[in-house]
Amino acid sequence: MEAVAIQLHQDIIDRCKSGDRQAYYKLYKLYSRSMYNVCYRIVRDEASAEDVLQESFINAFKNLDNYRGDSAFGAWLKRIVVNKSLTHLSKRKLERMPEDDRFDVMMEEQDDFEGFPLAVDTVKAAILKLPDGYRTVLSLYLLEGYDHEEIGQVLGISESTSKSQFSRSKKKLLEILKLEYKNEMP
Amino acid sequence: MSDSLKDFIDTNREGFDDKTPSAKVWSTIEPTLPKMKQVSLWNSVSVWRAAALALFCLSVYILVTRPNPNSTVLASQQKDFTDLESFYSSEIAEKVELISNFDSDDIDQFTQDFQKLDAMYQVLREELKIRPSGKVKDALVLNLLVRIDLLNQQLKKLEERKKPTKQSVSI
Repeated sequence: MEAVAIQLHQDIIDRCKSGDRQAYYKLYKLYSRSMYNVCYRIVRDEASAEDVLQESFINAFKNLDNYRGDSAFGAWLKRIVVNKSLTHLSKRKLERMPEDDRFDVMMEEQDDFEGFPLAVDTVKAAILKLPDGYRTVLSLYLLEGYDHEEIGQVLGISESTSKSQFSRSKKKLLEILKLEYKNEMP
Repeated sequence: MSDSLKDFIDTNREGFDDKTPSAKVWSTIEPTLPKMKQVSLWNSVSVWRAAALALFCLSVYILVTRPNPNSTVLASQQKDFTDLESFYSSEIAEKVELISNFDSDDIDQFTQDFQKLDAMYQVLREELKIRPSGKVKDALVLNLLVRIDLLNQQLKKLEERKKPTKQSVSI
């Protein structure tokens, strides 16, 4: 399936390389929505997410020759989008990791969410309430399908730091959700 | 290790990509599309492709048509020769006919010579089929001419021999 997807898009990519503007638009249409959501989850602002998105696509289209087709095009593009989003975050000079979380301490793994009533909108809203660092790690792991090694590479942290960050972000998310439910149901 | 949150997100993954970028994003991207560089690159590739194809076609053309000029020359040579041959052959046949009307002892000697020339002619004729060349053609024509000459000489000889007989009879 993945191979088929790569093949299908390879045709569009080849047409882009030959200067076919329709193909560029097709490629944009295929990926803009999911990539925009990747941006938004990291930068947490629609205008900024659009800036990052257009910057990412311009960059990707200019460097299309560098895409060799050894990975899925979506994964290649997503890496550009994630990197640009993170650059945007650091430009805002927002604190990415709380001080006390710099230690690579493995948290005890337990399924805190077991039996917890989850709904898409509340979880989505709760994720957006997480601090930048937590939100980034949690989004990359749970939504973008990155493993801790990849998150480590992207964020410039160790794999174990990514794991402990993820544990902490989940705990924080649960706190937010619990608070939400408490507010909803007095 | 079970992770209820992960399972929940995996199941409802689509619901998390609900935001759509505005049309402004594409309108900003569009003017920056790398068209000229890409097009010229493609063009240069196609030019090379066309050049390679043209070279290939030229090679094939040369290979296929190269023997053609020779063969057309040979064909025209063959035709020229066939015309010559039929002309001389009819002359020869005519003269042979004339000679055969004479009763003479010399005819045996003449027939032998003539047959030798004819045999040689057949050999040359075969040679022309296998290895056609101007030289063989010339040799064939020469053979025909020699035979005609030989026939003329023989005819003359026979005619001369006949005359005194006639004279003697008239005397």
